[in-house]
Amino acid sequence: MVDRVKSGLMVGVLFIGMAACNVGGPDGAGGASVPRTPDGRPDFSGIWQANNEAHWDLQAHEARAGMITQEGAYPYDYARVPAAPVLALGAAAGVPGSIGVVDGDGEIPYTAEAAVIKQENFDNWVDRDPELKCYLPGVPRAMYMPYPFSVTQGANQIQMGFTFSNAARLIHMDPETTLPPDYTYMGFSLGRWEGDSLIVDSNYFNGRTWFDRAGNYHSEQLTLTEKLTLQTPNVIQYEVTIEDPEVFTRPWTISMPLYRRMEPNAQLLDYRCIEFAEEFMYGGLRKEQLVKRWESETMIIDVTRKIPPGERLHEWYGR
Amino acid sequence: MSKIYLAGIVVLVGLVGVLQLPNVVQLVDAQTEESAAGPAPTTSWGDPDLEGIWTRDAEVPLQRPSSFRDREFFTDDERADLDRRRAEIIARDASRERRDSNGGGTAEQDVGGAYNAEIYISHLRLGQRTSMIVDPPNGQLPELAPRAKEEHAALLDFSLNLKRATEVCENDLPACRGGEYNTTPWEDRDITPPFYITSRNALPGGGGGVVSRSNHPEDRGHGERCMSSTIPDFRGFRRIVQSKNQIAIFYDTGQGQGWHRTVPISDAPHLPSNVRQWWGDSRARWEDDTLVVDVTNFSPKSNFLGAHENLHLIERWRRLDAETLEYTVTVDDPTTWVEPWTAVQTLKKQADQMNRIYYEPRCHEGNYGMAALLIGAREDERAFAEGSGEDPALKCLGACGGFAAGFADEGDDANPLR
Repeated sequence: MVDRVKSGLMVGVLFIGMAACNVGGPDGAGGASVPRTPDGRPDFSGIWQANNEAHWDLQAHEARAGMITQEGAYPYDYARVPAAPVLALGAAAGVPGSIGVVDGDGEIPYTAEAAVIKQENFDNWVDRDPELKCYLPGVPRAMYMPYPFSVTQGANQIQMGFTFSNAARLIHMDPETTLPPDYTYMGFSLGRWEGDSLIVDSNYFNGRTWFDRAGNYHSEQLTLTEKLTLQTPNVIQYEVTIEDPEVFTRPWTISMPLYRRMEPNAQLLDYRCIEFAEEFMYGGLRKEQLVKRWESETMIIDVTRKIPPGERLHEWYGR
Repeated sequence: MSKIYLAGIVVLVGLVGVLQLPNVVQLVDAQTEESAAGPAPTTSWGDPDLEGIWTRDAEVPLQRPSSFRDREFFTDDERADLDRRRAEIIARDASRERRDSNGGGTAEQDVGGAYNAEIYISHLRLGQRTSMIVDPPNGQLPELAPRAKEEHAALLDFSLNLKRATEVCENDLPACRGGEYNTTPWEDRDITPPFYITSRNALPGGGGGVVSRSNHPEDRGHGERCMSSTIPDFRGFRRIVQSKNQIAIFYDTGQGQGWHRTVPISDAPHLPSNVRQWWGDSRARWEDDTLVVDVTNFSPKSNFLGAHENLHLIERWRRLDAETLEYTVTVDDPTTWVEPWTAVQTLKKQADQMNRIYYEPRCHEGNYGMAALLIGAREDERAFAEGSGEDPALKCLGACGGFAAGFADEGDDANPLR
C-alpha cells in the first residue's frame, strides 16, 4: 500500500516535470510536437523561406503595374503604366499587393526628415537599392527575401546561410562574447532562450542596407530584437522589433510566419549574383557596350537611366 | 612615369584595417603541442563534433618542391633552412632595388608586386610534409589531360599575344616566358578569349589580373570580380557549425571573398546534371568517424587549378583530437588530369573568443577597383584616339609579373618551395 502511494507520487512528479518541459515559451507555441535538440531546445535546423510580399514593401500596398512605373495616358496615380526598364517583361514585371507585415496600425514611425528620405528612396529605387547591386542584404531583409535560407543549430551557436549572395549570419549564444570592432552589413547577433523562443539581439549594422524594395531604410543606430518561435514543426513565427532613434520616433515591430521547405530534397542552390549585377554596374564601362538598339521585328527599347549625382557607385558607397 | 597602372589597387577594401604586417619579417610558429590536445569530442547526438574555427597553422606547398621529389617529410634542419631563406626573400622584397635588380622595375611590376606582397604573403613556418599532395606518391599534380593542355596552350597564346608589345616582353621578363617582344601590338586583341577567363593557374606572370586586357569586367578574371573562392579551399579560415542533418561551413578566404556552404547529410541523389553550380553540389555521409562529402555538378565557369564542370571531389573531414581536424580531398577530373590525386591538409582549432569577429565577405561591396580599371582603360583609349596619349596596347594590364606573394617569378628570389 505504502509502496503504491509512493510510486503514484513519483509518476505524478515525473508528469509535472515533463509538462513543465514541454509547455513551450511564453506563447505556449510548439510544445512537445516540435523537433528538439538532445538538450531539449526547439531545433530550428532546416531550410526555411518566407512566403509573403514583405521583400517588396513591409507595409500594406496594392498591386502595381510594374516594378518601375511612369505616368500613363491618363494622368492619375492609379493609371500609371510600366516604365521602360521593365516594359519588355509585360505582366511579369508587376508588383503583387500585400496585407503588410507591420504590426499595430501598419505605419512605420519615421521622423519627418527620415520620411522624406524614404520617399526619395522609393522614387529612386533602381539607383539606390543595394539589392540590385548584389550587396549583402542585411537583417532582417535576408530573412524574408524570396529565396530559401538554411539554419544550422549547433551546440553553442546558430549559423544561418542565405541563398541571396551566399550571405551568412552567425548567432552567438555565448553571452561572454565581446562586441566586434566594426559595423557590418549583416550585423552582430547574440541569441538567448526565453522558454521555447529564441531571442536574438542584433546591432553593429553599417547603415547601408534596406528593409525592402520600397526604400524603407535605417541608420547605423539600428538595433533589432528578433523572436523566433516554432509554432509547429514546420512554421517559425518570426517577430522583429526595430529601433533606430536616428530614423524612427519609436520602436516598431514586424511579424510573419517562416515556412519550412517541405520538399524531401530541399537544399540551397547558388545565387552568386555578383555576376548578375556586373552588366548593371559596369556595363557602361565596357570597351564595346552590349546594350544596343534592337532591329527588325525585335522590340527596340531605349532605356534612359540617368544616374543622379550623389548616386554614382563610389559616392553612394562613401555616403 | 607615364604608365598608369590600376590592376594593383583592386578590391582592397575588404580587409583594409585588418591586415597589419610587421615591419620586421618573422615567420610565425603557430604549431601547438599536439600531445596536449584532448580526445576528439562528439556531439550530444553522438556524431563526431567538427565545430569550431579551423585553419592551417603551417605552410605546406600543394606540390612537392623539386629538390625533395622522393621525400614525404622534411627534416627539422631542412625546415629551418627553408624558413630562413623564405624569410630573407620576403624581407628583401621590401626594397625596390631588389625588384629592379631582379629584372623588374617596370611600373607594372612595382604596383603588382607591392599589392600582392601586402596581401598574400604567408608568414607561417613550414610544416613537416613536403607537399599536401600524398597521391600520386611523388607529391606532384598528375599530367594534364589533352583537353586541359589545349585550354592552357590557347590561354597562354592569348595572354602572350596581349602582352607582346609591352615592357614586360620588351625587357624579356618572366611574365613573357614563351612569348616574344613585338613592336606591333596584336591586331586581334579585342577578340573573345578562347576560353572563359577564370584564374591565372599556371600562366606566367604574377601580380594582379589574369590577362592584359580590361575591355570587360569578365577580362579581369575571378579574383578581381570578387568571385575567386572555390572548393577545395586550402587558404582561408573555415567556421563549422553542425546539426544532425546538415553542416554549415563559412569560409573566410581570398581577401573578402568568403562564402557560406550548407552541406546536407543526406543520401539523396545529386542535383540533375543540367544544374551547375560555382561550388558544386555537396552530399555528406558519416563513415565511422569521418564526414565524407561527395561534390559534383560544378559550373563550367568554376575553376580549380584548371578543372571546371567535370570536377568531382570526395572530401573527408576527420577530427583527430580536440585541436586537430584532418581534411583530405580526392580530386577526380579525367578531362583535366590523367589520373585522380589526393591532398591532405591539417587544420588547427582557433580560439572561438579570439576569432569571434565575423569578417563578412565585402569584396564586391568595396570593389572600386573594378570600375577604376575599366574607367582607366577607357580614358587611355580616348586619349590615344585624340592623339594625346600613347597606344594602350603598349601597357601591361594583367599578369605582368612581380613579387607575387612575396617572391620573384624566377631566379634567386623565387619561392624556394617551388
